[in-house]
Amino acid sequence: MDLAFTPEEQTFREEVRAWVRENLPSEISHKVHNALRLSRDDLQRWAKILGRRGWLGHAWPKEFGGPGWSAVQKHLFEEECALAGAPRVIPFGPVMVAPVIMAFGNAEQQKRFLPGIASGDVWWSQGYSEPGSGSDLASVKTRAERQGDKYIVNGQKTWTTLGQYGEWIFCLVRTSTEGKPQTGISFLLIDMKSPGVTVRPIKLLDGECEVNEVWFDNVEVPAENLIGEENKGWTYAKHLLSHERTNIADVNRAKRELERLKRIARAEGVYDDTRFRDEIAKLEVDVVALEMLVLRVLSAEKSGKNPLDIAGLLKIRGSEIQQRYSELMMLAAGPYALPLIFEAMEAGWQGDHVGAAHCAPLASTYFNMRKTTIYGGSNEVQRNIVAQTVLG
Amino acid sequence: MDFDFSDDQQQLRDAVRKWVAKGYDFERRRAIVDAGGFSREAYGELAELGLCGLYIPDDQGGLGMGPVEAMVVMEELGRGIVLEPLAQTLIAGAVLDGYAPQALKTAWLSPIASGEKLVVLAQQERKARYRLDMCEAKATQAATGWTLDASKSMVPAGDQADAFIVPASVNGKIALFLVERSAAGVATRGYGTQDGGRAAELTLSNAPASLVTPEGLTALEHAVDIGIAAACAEAVGVMDKTLDVTVEYLNTRKQFGVVISSFQALRHRVADMKMQLELARSMSYYASLKLNAPADERRRALARAKYQLGCSMRFVGQQAVQLHGGIGVTDEYIVSHYFKKLTQLEMTFGDSLHHLGEVSSRMQDTAGVFA
Repeated sequence: MDLAFTPEEQTFREEVRAWVRENLPSEISHKVHNALRLSRDDLQRWAKILGRRGWLGHAWPKEFGGPGWSAVQKHLFEEECALAGAPRVIPFGPVMVAPVIMAFGNAEQQKRFLPGIASGDVWWSQGYSEPGSGSDLASVKTRAERQGDKYIVNGQKTWTTLGQYGEWIFCLVRTSTEGKPQTGISFLLIDMKSPGVTVRPIKLLDGECEVNEVWFDNVEVPAENLIGEENKGWTYAKHLLSHERTNIADVNRAKRELERLKRIARAEGVYDDTRFRDEIAKLEVDVVALEMLVLRVLSAEKSGKNPLDIAGLLKIRGSEIQQRYSELMMLAAGPYALPLIFEAMEAGWQGDHVGAAHCAPLASTYFNMRKTTIYGGSNEVQRNIVAQTVLG
Repeated sequence: MDFDFSDDQQQLRDAVRKWVAKGYDFERRRAIVDAGGFSREAYGELAELGLCGLYIPDDQGGLGMGPVEAMVVMEELGRGIVLEPLAQTLIAGAVLDGYAPQALKTAWLSPIASGEKLVVLAQQERKARYRLDMCEAKATQAATGWTLDASKSMVPAGDQADAFIVPASVNGKIALFLVERSAAGVATRGYGTQDGGRAAELTLSNAPASLVTPEGLTALEHAVDIGIAAACAEAVGVMDKTLDVTVEYLNTRKQFGVVISSFQALRHRVADMKMQLELARSMSYYASLKLNAPADERRRALARAKYQLGCSMRFVGQQAVQLHGGIGVTDEYIVSHYFKKLTQLEMTFGDSLHHLGEVSSRMQDTAGVFA
């Protein structure tokens, strides 16, 4: 048992740190460190920088052009990026659909889709949830009917994150109503420029349009865009979910945000108020405990043991912590969190923020973070899963 | 970065687990509680396993092991809610080995390792709560040696121990001393504690003492941190068993014609208990792995760990009783004994609020496992 990373892992961390310092544009990290609005260009610019280095698909195996890193190396890379103020990599392409294409797509599909994902050139979206299919994802109704060498797709997806920027979307579609709901689902890649695709942004409680409805009205999709076999899509989707393991806890970002919370609390004069400071202290212990939990999962993966019985806890705890730091930041700002001035969340805005500039985005972030205990399988569903592993 | 146990550590765990299962069942434990809360015979069995010399070097008859082995042993003793205070023996071994002059080491380490002598820490004073720097005990140096005047409280197995490690002030500075119970001027008054164990009030009147170290506060803080790590590990063992018996009960007990583990309100509570247990286990690892860090880093880490463990212990203990319903509040059934042990462990070496204060006052700009 040893808490320290190996000398090789330390060297790796130093190399990543130096590279990130050299290559992450300061105008982007400034926005991340201050929770200012990131544009599509910001996100794609960083994705392409990573892509040029071969690190956008940082979890990819070597045979598909990835660096072939260990679980620990991936963790260290993510930590260095997060602490330096890099934006989160939009996961739909490199983290979500790419592993499915690698595992279940044919050689032609791999050649066609993977390079655009690895370079950051093509923006992917996720078409899973529907108005009637949230936690109960297997009940999806969007229909794909085979007609010759194409599918005709009809239906509606929703909660499609940043779908307004999407060029391609991977969808779970119903190709059969026979048998159990899980057995009639297929995994289809759809060009969002196809006639009949309509994207309508949904305004959320923070006033931003982070998610969308995506409508399919007799959309023609070439049959060659089907991944694997028809009606096996549920299996592929589960494979995809197994790829968001330790990074779902987002502990590296939590460490960065805890630092920001302390800065804000100090500037707002509440850091030395015992009642407030103790709340930060509690969160600090929560973050350290979550980090230890993540390290235990990584260690288990490293030695080939099954970490499943604690991996299920990561999403619950990580999301609760995200909500808590956003809540404490807002409370630190107090009344100055309340003005709703959209321009104040743009970098370089010179107007009157009312409170200190760092207060402007805090309430919006707090509102936005309510999503974290809802998406990716609500925390109540996660508790069912944990209870199942404990109680049988 | 590696959290696997070595084969040797696994064997140590197996040996202690086997002794607990075969040699320290609930009936024997109950008999020990009824007889006052401490059994020299059971303590001797721990010594036969070599555990009393865990931190003591090989050439003094010990095992020369480290914090991870101590953690493994304490987890297993926790699973059996063992009453005999091995954590105290771990502290005494480490403190004497780390701070005492050679003559004291030679005289005491080997008998401690063999179980012949039980030495415990007597740091608690009635006005001090959890403060380590508050010490009314006084030491005086004469031509014939040191003498102590002190009233110490809640001394573990105090009327059974053979000697005490006692903080006392010398010209306003705390030093550590060793005092034998058989010495002149030493009086003890024993009583039971809430977890079924034993403690005593200790009065020293002009009692002869040997100086362990003049750097008493440094050594005392180290001693308490060893105790915190041991309490954390012990608590993990208790919580493991607490969750096990709760799961078994929920999967057996029927109401409304079905096993009560089918009810989602109860299932979610179990998920929350599992969460608290695993956060606690993670922080217990952290505590033991930071025990040899520089003092500042060690103190910060141990406070973080004890805060987490305290919160987890209270939640797991309370919820285990609640999920059992009526049977949970009886003396006859084991879960109330786990609950009381967890309660006592939370308040040993600083409760949750105390350690929250420690974490709060020690906060730095950055935080994490490696910061």
